[in-house]
Amino acid sequence: MEEKDFKCLRCGAINKYPFEKGVMMERQCPKCGSNSIRLVKEKKTDQAKKEG
Amino acid sequence: MMDVGRHPNINLLTYSEVEKISGYVGNFHALIRRKAKYVNETECTACGDCTEICPVIVPDEFQQGMSSRKAIYIPFPQAVPSSYLIDMTNCLGTNPIACGKCAEKCEKKCIDYDAKDEIIEVDAGIVIVATGMDVFDPTPVDEYGYTNFENVVTSMEFERLISAGGPSDGHFFRPTDRKRPKTVGFIQCVGSRTEKCGNPYCSNICCMNTIKDTLLLKDHYPDIEAKVFYIDIRAFGKGFEDLFNRSKAAGVQYIRGVPGEITENQSTRNLNITVEDTTSNRLEKYEFDMLVLSVGVMPRWDMPQVQQLLTLSKTPDGFFMEAHPKLKPVDAPTTGVYFAGCAEAPKDVKDSVTQASAAAARAETMLSAGEVTLEAITSTIDLETCRFCGMCAKVCPYNAIKVDPKKKTLEYIEALCKGCGTCGAECRFGSITMKHFTDNQIYSQIDAHLTVNPQERTIVFACNWCSYAGADTCGGARLQYPPNQRLIRTMCSGRVDEKWVLYAFRKGAPMVVVSGCHYVDCHYIDANRWTQKRVEKLWDKLEKWGIRPERLLLEWISAAEGKRFQKAMQDIEELRKTVTQEEIEHTMKVLTEEEEKAKAKKK
Repeated sequence: MEEKDFKCLRCGAINKYPFEKGVMMERQCPKCGSNSIRLVKEKKTDQAKKEG
Repeated sequence: MMDVGRHPNINLLTYSEVEKISGYVGNFHALIRRKAKYVNETECTACGDCTEICPVIVPDEFQQGMSSRKAIYIPFPQAVPSSYLIDMTNCLGTNPIACGKCAEKCEKKCIDYDAKDEIIEVDAGIVIVATGMDVFDPTPVDEYGYTNFENVVTSMEFERLISAGGPSDGHFFRPTDRKRPKTVGFIQCVGSRTEKCGNPYCSNICCMNTIKDTLLLKDHYPDIEAKVFYIDIRAFGKGFEDLFNRSKAAGVQYIRGVPGEITENQSTRNLNITVEDTTSNRLEKYEFDMLVLSVGVMPRWDMPQVQQLLTLSKTPDGFFMEAHPKLKPVDAPTTGVYFAGCAEAPKDVKDSVTQASAAAARAETMLSAGEVTLEAITSTIDLETCRFCGMCAKVCPYNAIKVDPKKKTLEYIEALCKGCGTCGAECRFGSITMKHFTDNQIYSQIDAHLTVNPQERTIVFACNWCSYAGADTCGGARLQYPPNQRLIRTMCSGRVDEKWVLYAFRKGAPMVVVSGCHYVDCHYIDANRWTQKRVEKLWDKLEKWGIRPERLLLEWISAAEGKRFQKAMQDIEELRKTVTQEEIEHTMKVLTEEEEKAKAKKK
């Protein structure tokens, strides 16, 4: 399964978690234990830079 | 089985499959496909003349493929009813009749090649799911050379080899030379307690099964040397430790360690294994005439179909999830559905009988009462304001709502509703009200909590079963958490409406927390997945409006996690302190404007 960056909204830690579009899964921050884990969305400019 | 077959009040349908179940507790309606056996089971005397003359020979599944059966056969000797059936996939053909020898030979003329599958309709008040389990197949992962070395057999094959009713009539031999082995090794936890095979759970029955097998082996052939390689021996039941000690006293050697490498001696076909004995920390080598893989159990292959038929949920292991592991261990989350045996979790015969007895008693209690009392926390639907969008039906974990958007019809079976309230939270038109947890009741609670010094309050929506109980555990254990946090109880976190969260922010709350059960603990099958989806959408909306998403948190806290609740609340209080008065006022202003815009749009 693909891994993406997620940010913990409680402590701010960024970690990689498995991600599959449309699949819900429980995620927990290894640092503070929170479940407020939000997908870090790439900005359009970053995406364009990646694609060259 | 015979007793069941003869019981006047039990209608036993063998060789049948449930195709559809509709309805609810007290009113289930099932469509069952009774497959054609091509033999009249009431007339058949099981004389065996037909099977003798049948020219088709295929591997016998009951004997693990170690002997053969005919195309017309009895699946296993104790089958009820004791009558033959024709395996049409292997029969030479009946249309046109290619052989017809069995029909010619049958004196009672029981064979009917034109028999067709029948669809039977059954009305039932209760459904008991006793669909059993499958045994782990070591072939795909080639565990311990099972596919390469003939003398490596599974515990199921061993059972048949040593059974008096088995392919060797109880004369135990090894497959390559059909000679009695002198040394037999047993390897435990094959396909259990391993992520490699995808089965991290303990299969529960294998340790005792191996202990029983070693005793059987020693009883029949005291000269055979038996060794068992294990991770742990789990002999936890009544009399089990005694059986384990008897096995050791009979000379069976137990070695703590799982073999890493297996090779075969080409000339003797013996098996050489290398194992690290973890009690002595030494690498040891052994040679065996035969190896037995103690295979674990797995959820049955057709569980997804059964799950869909009855709207059941599964644990991460793949077995069916009970309504509550301690308080309702035989109940399914759907009222009127009970579990018996390995459909719910791996278990031995004794535990299966115990659970089946409990399920029967639960069913009897409900049936004899003649009526079901529902909790008065179900949803009500206002069909006048409903737009028949179907979102409520999509999110209902119990399929209590059925919507046809084209015909603009809605069917709601209140008896199926468990009161999670997810439909109410998802309805955009305010057509669904959950009794005792109405929007107005929640707004009143938010208003009351934010009347004095709202900038110091955190609104915490907590689900009844886990988070609210977790807060109770926290309090009961005298664990201190900040007193300015205000809990609002809902039955499920799925009930927490986006409107409530925004209302709290609009009224000046610096922080809002939505809290519920961990995924595996959700008391409403999967309702809390919708909570997460809703919160994730809200984070995006808040960010779009220039409000920090960090002010809305999502926390899964179980009833036992008092300490976790305390830690979460302490951390959240620190975050609350970072929310400035300007930020709160900005939020209130933005959200009020957004609400006005939405109102204007509606008009």
